[in-house]
Amino acid sequence: MALNPTEPKWSLRLPADCSIAAIRNVYDLVREAFGRQERLEIDCSSVDKADVTSIQLLLSTARTGEAQGRPVVLTSFSQSLRNTLRRAGFASEAMIDRHFPQKKDGT
Amino acid sequence: MSAMDPTEVFRQEASELFEVLEGALLDLGQRPDDRELVDSAFRALHTIKGSGAMFGFDKVASFTHEFETAFDRVRKGEIKPTQELISVALAAKDYIRALIEDPQSTDDIIGEAILDDLRRFVSSDQPSAPAAEIAEAPPLAPSASRQAGWHLYIEFESHILRNGSNPLDLLEDLCKLGPCFVVPVTDGIPFLDELDPEDCYLKWDVKLHAACDKDAIDDVFMFVQDEMKLTLSPLEQVEAPAPMPLFQLLDEEPVVAEMAAPVVEVAVAPVAVQPAATTEPKAEVAAESKREAATARSQEAKQERGIATVRVQAERLDELMDRVGELVIAQARLTQLASTGSDLSIKMIAEEIERLASSLRDTTMGARMVPIGSLFGRFRRLVHDLSRDLSKPVEFVTSGEDTELDKTMIECLADPLVHLIRNAIDHGIEDTATRAANGKTEQGRIELAAVHSGAQVLVTVKDNGGGLNTARIRAKAEEQGLIAAGAVLSDHEIHQFLFHPGFSTAQTISALSGRGVGMDVVKRTIENMRGSIDLATRPGQGTIVTLRLPLTLAIIEGLLIRVGEGRYIIPLSAVEECIELTAEDERSRGRNFLNVRGNLVPFLRLREIMTASGMPDRHQKTIIISTGETHVGLVADQIIGNHQTVIKSLSKLHSDVTIFSGATILGDGTAALILDVAQLVALAQSKVEKQHISEAA
Repeated sequence: MALNPTEPKWSLRLPADCSIAAIRNVYDLVREAFGRQERLEIDCSSVDKADVTSIQLLLSTARTGEAQGRPVVLTSFSQSLRNTLRRAGFASEAMIDRHFPQKKDGT
Repeated sequence: MSAMDPTEVFRQEASELFEVLEGALLDLGQRPDDRELVDSAFRALHTIKGSGAMFGFDKVASFTHEFETAFDRVRKGEIKPTQELISVALAAKDYIRALIEDPQSTDDIIGEAILDDLRRFVSSDQPSAPAAEIAEAPPLAPSASRQAGWHLYIEFESHILRNGSNPLDLLEDLCKLGPCFVVPVTDGIPFLDELDPEDCYLKWDVKLHAACDKDAIDDVFMFVQDEMKLTLSPLEQVEAPAPMPLFQLLDEEPVVAEMAAPVVEVAVAPVAVQPAATTEPKAEVAAESKREAATARSQEAKQERGIATVRVQAERLDELMDRVGELVIAQARLTQLASTGSDLSIKMIAEEIERLASSLRDTTMGARMVPIGSLFGRFRRLVHDLSRDLSKPVEFVTSGEDTELDKTMIECLADPLVHLIRNAIDHGIEDTATRAANGKTEQGRIELAAVHSGAQVLVTVKDNGGGLNTARIRAKAEEQGLIAAGAVLSDHEIHQFLFHPGFSTAQTISALSGRGVGMDVVKRTIENMRGSIDLATRPGQGTIVTLRLPLTLAIIEGLLIRVGEGRYIIPLSAVEECIELTAEDERSRGRNFLNVRGNLVPFLRLREIMTASGMPDRHQKTIIISTGETHVGLVADQIIGNHQTVIKSLSKLHSDVTIFSGATILGDGTAALILDVAQLVALAQSKVEKQHISEAA
């Protein structure tokens, strides 16, 4: 899926707590953001608590965007999120890239 | 309909888990070799830890984690749980409970002290290897000269995350067994619309390059074994990759290799399977398949049970019972109205509604029924602690845990039973020297039993101690002026003094070898529950206290009677028989005794007690009621018949009218008062005593 940088975008910064305790709220936020027409950019830099549910939500978001032809860009994975991904077996950058093709770091 | 506070849900769940944990620990004291008990305790601990972390009880999670770690050697079978260790583990459980229920009352220092004790006990019989090595080293297959390993496919049930389990922790534990190659399987992750964010969709394909025993893998998943599918097959012997950190190892692009051996899905339950180097023998595969089928059946059964129960707030059940009570009253009014008219169709509808209301009442009352076992579990700890504190070894045996009682009854029953059990151990069971001298076993025995008996439940507390000292009780009663010296009383009548308020003081108890402290309070509580209490004892052999309780406090079967213009309800469970007051009995005015088949039974004229106006009915009826072995006749104008009595509390204004225990609404909308049987019996007895005294004078 190609990105058009000129397309208007909607940015969502994930909250610090993306663990199961708060995942339902995060899910609602993502769905609400997904309902907008703009290109969706999800900033993961603040994520401080992550677990299996956070990974699944991000995977599902990426997959849904892919299927709908809607660009969803995940940016700035926090160290905590990265650690959780690694613990879940998403060990290499290549692997993370494969599952999150629209990932952008540092943007 | 408000949703329950998730924290409150956790507290409730934790409360149930504490009961499981406590039960398992106490049983472990009796059966230290029972692995299932250890597993059960650990599962409870693990869930408390996981859920605690999930709901923000970080202190709970961290303390429980330490508890788990310290207790790990018991789980591994390296040390046996001694009584001392069990006691410290119970203290740790209490501390966790306090952290959840009343964190203000806890102190970190206490927690640390408990953990120190726990660590000291589990390391006291340390074998030669240092603890760290024991904790770290996975059990190795003896013949594994070269690294082989296991191929695992891990699939958790969708709800696994909700109960606090964390698959990532499990993967980490798995990787401690040896070099691991973990590949997440993401196929099951749905699109956003279908995603339940708290469900688990990820699965994992893992290659474990370690020739560890299968039991070691089982241990990793022991707490979630019922909530997952684990497909496990031995890896062909391969050159083991050089040991390297997990994440470094995983930084390679993973490749899922072909599996070398047939894949068999197995339960994670411990089974002795050695990792075969090449292929598995057919017989083993067949055995595994059987186990697989058994696991599937057990999981199906579990799922069925899972959807068959639902957690409901107790207040909602109370509310539902109130509504049903109102419905029963309205239905009674409808039935009465229909009976006065001649419209057949209305009568049919009234009958149909009566049937439905009756069925709804039974169903609702059934929903409020709780197995008494939930209460019995608490006393095991009480017995354990008292036994330890008083240095009296006591065996605690329970039976009839499945007997169901209304939840309100269960709540009310707790304190009286604590009192009775404490008395039984403290004063009933003799010390070991006395028991030995009397030719008894060193270990005393307390039996707590429940059984259905008609519309009642009998709860008995039985001990094999020294029994009641009837002579001392009598002497004390005479000393207190409760009976005249030399009065002729049966042993049973003498024992009733133990229920007399103020009869027992602490000094009296030790002097009397026991019974009585607060027994009046126990009796009052039981009678407030419309129950009765009875004592039976044999010198030197022990005592049995029997509580007779109605099944519910909400709706009872009553006998509706008329006295003058007023109508009253007598609980049917207390009614022995109804007889007509004969002319001879009538003439006995002043003496107030009936001759019932040769037995003299005192009776009360309800017209006098209720100060009824007007002339009494020509043929007066007597209802014989009883509490325990005491019978009393109640004389009424008319017996109207049975009545489904929805009990309503009396207002504060009437709270001091002791002969009524409540009120109900009759079919015609008027109220009827419910007679308090115990109070009426007491009233009759006091009249008899007064009569005796006046006759003696």
